[in-house]
Amino acid sequence: MENLLIALLVLGALGLFLALPGGRAHLARFAPVPLAGAGGVLAAVVLRAALSEPQRAWFAGLALVALAAAVRVVTHRRPVYSALYFVLLILAVTGLLVLLEAKFLAAALVIVYAGAILVTYVFVIMLAQQATAASYDVRAREPFWGCLAGFLLLAIVGMQLLSGGAATAAGPAAVGTVAEVGTRLLTHYAVAVQVGGLLLLAAMVGAIAIARRKPAADGDGGESAA
Amino acid sequence: MLIAYLLVGAALFTLGLIGFVTRRNLIIIFLCTEMMFQGIILNLVALGRYPLASAAAGPLDGQVFALFLIAVAAAEAALGLTLVVLLYRYGRSLDAGTLTTLRDP
Repeated sequence: MENLLIALLVLGALGLFLALPGGRAHLARFAPVPLAGAGGVLAAVVLRAALSEPQRAWFAGLALVALAAAVRVVTHRRPVYSALYFVLLILAVTGLLVLLEAKFLAAALVIVYAGAILVTYVFVIMLAQQATAASYDVRAREPFWGCLAGFLLLAIVGMQLLSGGAATAAGPAAVGTVAEVGTRLLTHYAVAVQVGGLLLLAAMVGAIAIARRKPAADGDGGESAA
Repeated sequence: MLIAYLLVGAALFTLGLIGFVTRRNLIIIFLCTEMMFQGIILNLVALGRYPLASAAAGPLDGQVFALFLIAVAAAEAALGLTLVVLLYRYGRSLDAGTLTTLRDP
């Protein structure tokens, strides 16, 4: 199992390094090969265990979609497509949350992320994006060291998870319906809900205050005008 | 099953981290932070569904915590994107590498 994890991580790191934009067009053509290899190995592993239980097959499919979308978010050269792949990632994570019986949280995730946050991202992309691909989009910064550090971290975490292992109880089957989560939220965590509302208010006021400010040429951060 | 969910969450977090470090477009950097949030939300809910034997938390605490995480992510996205727009108006570029005013000379 550990060897398999290492092989998966090496394949994934190689594929991600090749796929990151870095001005290596002759190498980037080969990026799908290790990525598809990693995805195939992952699919084979999970499907072998999945044939007994349909829930595991759903988990395997959704996890593969989520990881593939995540790779495309990181590696795509055009921010609009990154945002759209992020929507796909959100939908896959939502499916995983439904598998985990977190129904209200799944709905909230779709509404808040795919509905609100992503629309804001698309607005900002439309405001700030040039028509042609900018130089900072076609060339990543130190993709080799970034991939190495990230996948080393993932290897350490994965080895710890696989070796430390499975000291889990099945637990009560808590279904996260609106009534259950809402009761817990408004009784046990009522103060935290207030603090969360205060945080959102502060963020809104701060965003308006920042957005009204005109860029000051002398850099003293001038008062809001207009 | 818990281990599989935790591994997927860790992989999402790591991919977001790699994107955060390597990409230079400010918008994609913020998208990568949101991707790290997704990994953490998945971890929280999975640990709430399959609790550790020694866990003291209630059965729904993972989901409630994830809801607060969504609220914090929304606040962070609003403020961060406002700053991105302001920086774009200031420098006409979304390149994180050009923002060197605060750097040591």
